[in-house]
Amino acid sequence: MGQPKSSKHTFSRRDFLRLAGITGGAALLAACAPQAAPAPAEPTQASEPAKAEEKPTEQPAAPSAEQITISWWNQFSTDTCKEWFPKIIKLFEDDNPNIKVEFEITGGPPGGGDFAELLLARIAAGNPPDTCTLWDPPSGYGARGAMDAIDNYLVKAETAKADAFFPGVLASCQFKGKTYGLPASAGAGCMFINKKIFDELGVSAKREDFPKTWGDYRELSAKFVSWDGDVLIRGGGMPWTSPWLFSTWSQLNGGQIFDSKTVQYKIDSPQNEEWLQVWVDWLDQQYKGDLEKVSTSGVWDDIYGEAQFTKGNMAVTNSGAWACTDAVFEFDWEVVPFPTGPSGAKQMTSFWPNWFAMPKGGPHPDEAFLFVEHMTTDGWAVWYTEAIMDTPAWTGYPKDSVNKKLVEVVGQEQAIDIQNFYAEQLKSVSDMWTSPVEAFANDSMSQAIDAVLRKQATPAEALANAQKACQAKLEETMKTS
Amino acid sequence: MENDAASGSILKKGWFKITGRFRLTRQARENIYGYLFVSPWIISLLVFTAYPTMASFYFSMTKYNVLNPPKWVGVTNFTTMFTNDPLYWPSVSNTIYYVLISVPLGVAFGLFLALLLNQNLKGIGFYRTAFYLPGLVPAVASTLLWMVLLNPRFGLVNELLSLLYIPKLGWLSSPTWSKPALILMSLWGTTGGTMLIFLAALKEIPQSLIEAAMMDGANSWHRFWVITIPMISTTIFFNLVMGIIGSFQVFASAYVASGTGGTAGPLNSILMYMLYLYRNAFRYFNMGYASAMALVMFIVLVLVTLALVRSSSAWVHYENANR
Repeated sequence: MGQPKSSKHTFSRRDFLRLAGITGGAALLAACAPQAAPAPAEPTQASEPAKAEEKPTEQPAAPSAEQITISWWNQFSTDTCKEWFPKIIKLFEDDNPNIKVEFEITGGPPGGGDFAELLLARIAAGNPPDTCTLWDPPSGYGARGAMDAIDNYLVKAETAKADAFFPGVLASCQFKGKTYGLPASAGAGCMFINKKIFDELGVSAKREDFPKTWGDYRELSAKFVSWDGDVLIRGGGMPWTSPWLFSTWSQLNGGQIFDSKTVQYKIDSPQNEEWLQVWVDWLDQQYKGDLEKVSTSGVWDDIYGEAQFTKGNMAVTNSGAWACTDAVFEFDWEVVPFPTGPSGAKQMTSFWPNWFAMPKGGPHPDEAFLFVEHMTTDGWAVWYTEAIMDTPAWTGYPKDSVNKKLVEVVGQEQAIDIQNFYAEQLKSVSDMWTSPVEAFANDSMSQAIDAVLRKQATPAEALANAQKACQAKLEETMKTS
Repeated sequence: MENDAASGSILKKGWFKITGRFRLTRQARENIYGYLFVSPWIISLLVFTAYPTMASFYFSMTKYNVLNPPKWVGVTNFTTMFTNDPLYWPSVSNTIYYVLISVPLGVAFGLFLALLLNQNLKGIGFYRTAFYLPGLVPAVASTLLWMVLLNPRFGLVNELLSLLYIPKLGWLSSPTWSKPALILMSLWGTTGGTMLIFLAALKEIPQSLIEAAMMDGANSWHRFWVITIPMISTTIFFNLVMGIIGSFQVFASAYVASGTGGTAGPLNSILMYMLYLYRNAFRYFNMGYASAMALVMFIVLVLVTLALVRSSSAWVHYENANR
């Protein structure tokens, strides 16, 4: 106020603040301007004659000769994964010098966060990763249009042809006749027995002598169960501890949870009621009918963490092929097949794959498929031999290759025997992971069985409720897919 | 308003003075610069809060699985929620149980600790820090730690109980004790922050009031009830509101303790509202339904907060009576 006007303009503090405010506001507005969604089928760097199309249900083009970087999202985090996946990916990059793979082995997506949440958000936003490894079946994602169908790629693939995978395992990637991913591992399920406990009680620990029926299995289990007051100090068999095996237990008794042929849920069948009643009676007779007492006494499922089987306090547990090298047992052990139920006629196994898929809208589908092909065939064969004994879903893996770590643990002869056991088991797998509402159904079944075992509902009631919920959810999804 | 005598015709119109050319007044310029400087915050409020909130309200009336465009269904999500979802009301009751116990306990413990630590003793700073530190532990790490402590067979908590001849509890393995386990985790993590806020409020109480009461023969309970509580009632009100809002949205501990799938604890005993919302959104591909749940939660929280604010006139004492 009242300042003399100078003919020479100086850059005052007010001018500086003015300029800073304008510049900052302009920069922020520019940053917040919506960006054009990347055109997934026409990347500017692609210059090949036949450009990759947005929907690779048409003829897939040859991969670009220019340097391409593709991204791979996964949820792996163990030291073994950190050691071996970079090596397996290096093999792929050596074979495909124009393709670089960007990835992290940190247990989740790059930068952290929830995997499912971020993957869905990125797919919805139109900038998904090129490839991802799923721990839920691709069929569910495919039913909702989240993953690219890869059938045309499979036709032209070198190694990853559709008939080169175990059919029952590949079915987990398929929905309405289209394939939305590939299984890398078959992860055959089985039961593990503690040979030391068997020997102590004078029970044969040979695989061929293990019970073939639920009745015999239950009788055997009773020999091992031991309580100290209200504390369970040694467990026998507890088939209910692994929710991912429910559909297998159902089929072992001649029933089914989800029929992929008719696309219907069949939860409330007499065979399933019988199955659950067997479990209720088993719990009552051997475990005081009190799941809480059992849970309070320790961890009785699988082989990880504080699992009682790993500690040597459980005679039989459920797990899969990966456990042969994932776990460290201080005792001799054996793998045995699942027995059949009173209404079952056919022995079968379960499986839990690692799936590789290509999210819809990924920028480099051709290159992405080459990576998926490598990881589910030759790449996984390397993983199987060198790292974890997670049986490949690809039938073309070298049958004379034996997992090195398993050989260290049990010796060459037994390692070959176990490997052959899983390969044989995979010829008869249960119908699983094929529902487009798999997650919802698994949760519904877990809740139903939990209610039955805790005496809050009868098998009939619980299964009827689960049937109603799952069928409704399925119909709703089928309408919109 | 400025009056430029050196100019030609002058027309003052609020922000503008026209002196042959358009020119903003100094006041107007400063207003604009002010808005420019706060524009980052305004933009982030609009982009990251207002827009997602409005979008969520819209999605609550649609069938939306994130991957396909939303389809308008009106109030179907809400009717399903209230009448046809067997897990909705259990998640509501689990959450209300959690809120009704954790919030009063949290406020009470926070005040108790603050009273204990409101002393000028040597080394008191160490204790204040020690009680506050658990609040800095991330929720996931805290939950994992407590899952070890609450292990029914070997956990430290059950060992301490057995020293007192109390039977070991199932904690997260028990449908009865799983929610108290989550409440215990929450108290450990949040009491420190509550304590700190109460401590600040206690420091503001004029000593003259306390001394006057002592001279009048008031005992410590009297002083606490008649002086301390009214004087910190605004802080109690604040902690209550924030505690209720926070506890209604309990998620991390339930998520870590129960995982994303299967049952959330035995018999879904720790299936909290936000956990169920999360499962619907990201596990069952049901974002529309999850948005409807979020809208209901929002309305409930607004109503509860309003009720608290209305009730505050009866028990919250402000220094300035005219507020």
